[in-house]
Amino acid sequence: MTAAVQDWQSIARRSTRLRKINFVLLIGFLTIVSIPVLLPFFWVVVISFSARTGGVESAVLWKACSILVPAVFAYGGFHLAVKSVRRRLIAAGALIAASTAGLYLTVGDDLHLHNYRFLVNPNLVEELRGAATAGGQFPWVWVAFINSLVVAAISTLFKVTIATLSGYYLSRFAFRGRSSFLQGLLILEVFHPWMLTIPIFLVIFWIGLLNTLAGPILVLTVLDLPFFIFIMKGFFDAVPWDIEMSAMTDGATRRQAFRYVVLPQVRAGIIAISVLGFIKGWEEYVFVTALRTGNSYWVMSTYLYYVADDVMGVDYGLVAAVSVFYMAPSLLLYLFLQRHLTQLTFGGIKG
Amino acid sequence: MARIELVGVAKRWGNTVAVEDMRTELEDREFVAILGPSGCGKSTTLFLLAGIYAPTEGEIRFDGVRVNEVEPKDRNVGIVFQSYALYPNMTVEQNIMFPLRFVSMEATEAQKQAREIAELVQIEKLLERRPGQLSGGQQQRVALARALIKKPNLLLLDEPLSNLDATLRLSMRSEIRRIQRELGVTTILVTHDQVEATTMADRIICMNDGRIEQIDTPENLYRRPNTTFVASFVGSPPINLVAGSIRESRFVAGERSFPLSGITETAEVWMGLRPELLAVADEGLPATVATIEPMGREILYGADSPLGFLRFLEAAPLPRFSFGDKVRLATVVENVLFFDGTDGGRIDGASLNEFS
Ligand SMILES: Nc1ncnc2c1ncn2[C@@H]1O[C@H](COP(=O)(O)OP(=O)(O)OP(=O)(O)O)[C@@H](O)[C@H]1O
Ligand SMILES: [Mg+2]
Repeated sequence: MTAAVQDWQSIARRSTRLRKINFVLLIGFLTIVSIPVLLPFFWVVVISFSARTGGVESAVLWKACSILVPAVFAYGGFHLAVKSVRRRLIAAGALIAASTAGLYLTVGDDLHLHNYRFLVNPNLVEELRGAATAGGQFPWVWVAFINSLVVAAISTLFKVTIATLSGYYLSRFAFRGRSSFLQGLLILEVFHPWMLTIPIFLVIFWIGLLNTLAGPILVLTVLDLPFFIFIMKGFFDAVPWDIEMSAMTDGATRRQAFRYVVLPQVRAGIIAISVLGFIKGWEEYVFVTALRTGNSYWVMSTYLYYVADDVMGVDYGLVAAVSVFYMAPSLLLYLFLQRHLTQLTFGGIKG
Repeated sequence: MARIELVGVAKRWGNTVAVEDMRTELEDREFVAILGPSGCGKSTTLFLLAGIYAPTEGEIRFDGVRVNEVEPKDRNVGIVFQSYALYPNMTVEQNIMFPLRFVSMEATEAQKQAREIAELVQIEKLLERRPGQLSGGQQQRVALARALIKKPNLLLLDEPLSNLDATLRLSMRSEIRRIQRELGVTTILVTHDQVEATTMADRIICMNDGRIEQIDTPENLYRRPNTTFVASFVGSPPINLVAGSIRESRFVAGERSFPLSGITETAEVWMGLRPELLAVADEGLPATVATIEPMGREILYGADSPLGFLRFLEAAPLPRFSFGDKVRLATVVENVLFFDGTDGGRIDGASLNEFS
């Protein structure tokens, strides 16, 4: 009897210990593999604030990273250990203050904002080279920024609206050819969109949208739709049918039932595809370049490309600063909505 | 509130027949239960009445007016789904008030009504919670409140008690009945639990395989079942059915025969003996006890007899017999039922003269 009790206790202790060891190993492993992924990001940020024309001071780089990387991991550890939002914010504030102080003490003299002058200087390249380049129409960064915003936002709006409505329809209405339609959607995913560049160019040319932002907006919308429709269908499949019927007997029309009862339950899916769609539009390079002849419009990706091209070997700092500016919106979007993004697998799997 | 009529209603999906030739009439303020095994078309019948399904054939009438083409939202039907179907994104209060969004009513008035109905079903303390934070019984009351708030013509309850524990089920039964009387709403309760149906309903519609087998009061369903299906579905434990034939005014089963009157020669008949009306006596059919199932206050025995395996019920907390005991079984001959062996219909006027 007593022997059995002792057995249970030691088994429980052993499994607790094992769980702890596994947890530590997992965290350690993830930390190590994330270093090569994260380090370049830190470098870009540090370079953008420290490099001067002519080269990068690698000592600054290492010193800054040796402060920033531990700070980030310290926060990560704290985030895992502490559940309260207020405490997490306090920890984040403290770490930011500490690393700012650390940076100021070690590399403070080398930090400057000169590389970010492109934000306020509309005539960046002329200043650099003494003459306009890239066809003479190299724009101010905010023009490209607004254009990118327009492309990403409008294509996302289209994608989300169409994918939501068709996902709902595919999930709820049995019509002839539904399963072959769904299979067809998946087959579309087999083709890499770049394979379609020439036909797409021709179509856009014929309908007269070449050299307009409408071109990339339409193409981006269409390319993402199959996958997004599939995701949304999965989310709608997970919403019980009788909830909708209940709303209709409660006096709602089908549209009201959709609006008040069904839609709120696929919110996670809508947020997820919005973020994915927006980032896709924000990062797009291939089709924005393919669908313009000359420099009819500029977006952030082409801006970055031409800045890099024009100053290559001369001004790493400027390229790094443009890169940081370019990735900031996607990064912020990810950070704020990542909780919703992780739900994607649950809804998506059911599709 | 409303008189409901079903006139030859059928619902089919391709070759699947869910319900066929439903004919019945519900009086205003009546409480009717639909009783039947799983898959017999009970939910389908409710959905037809709610307007969620359109009948393939036949007509549904509310107060004598055809409503086949009337949208669910315009039928003023309250329904509690088998799964409760609460809206997870809304609080309990918002759930209850949802039907009022579609009638013009001031927010304060709507809130007042929601509070009243919540008190009626005793969930007034839970109004701020979300459905995910409620127990099954509480969810059921919320669903009931939501179905009742717009004062429906017809209240449809699809197995609302099936997810509850035994005690809660008992109290909810009388609760639902009380609320129904208080509001005087015509109500249909779907269930496959016959005790629920018999204790709650004024009348029971007994369904099998998409068809109505019998519509009657609980008592008649038990005393005078129209078919062998009703006889074995209503009554617990199920009735003993003995196959035999009628020859020369005798019921013949195997080597045994019993004198009877009122039936002509029939090749195949069933004799129905209710276990609770079979009792051990000094005289009667010899049998050997083969199974003993204590059921709390009663004990269900199974015995091998010349008529085959027969169940009988004894009202005693402790077993009086043990395996292999020889007993003699007797019954009140007036209560023995006879059914046609081919179509299962009850044979009226047949009565056993002697059971031994
Ligand atoms: N949408 C549908 N398409 C095809 N067949 C259906 C559909 N809905 C129901 N059925 C069939 O109709 C029959 C009756 O179903 P129904 O849901 O009414 O049964 P039920 O009596 O409510 O059963 P349970 O007690 O299990 O809820 C079943 O055989 C079912 O398979
Ligand atoms: Mg059902």
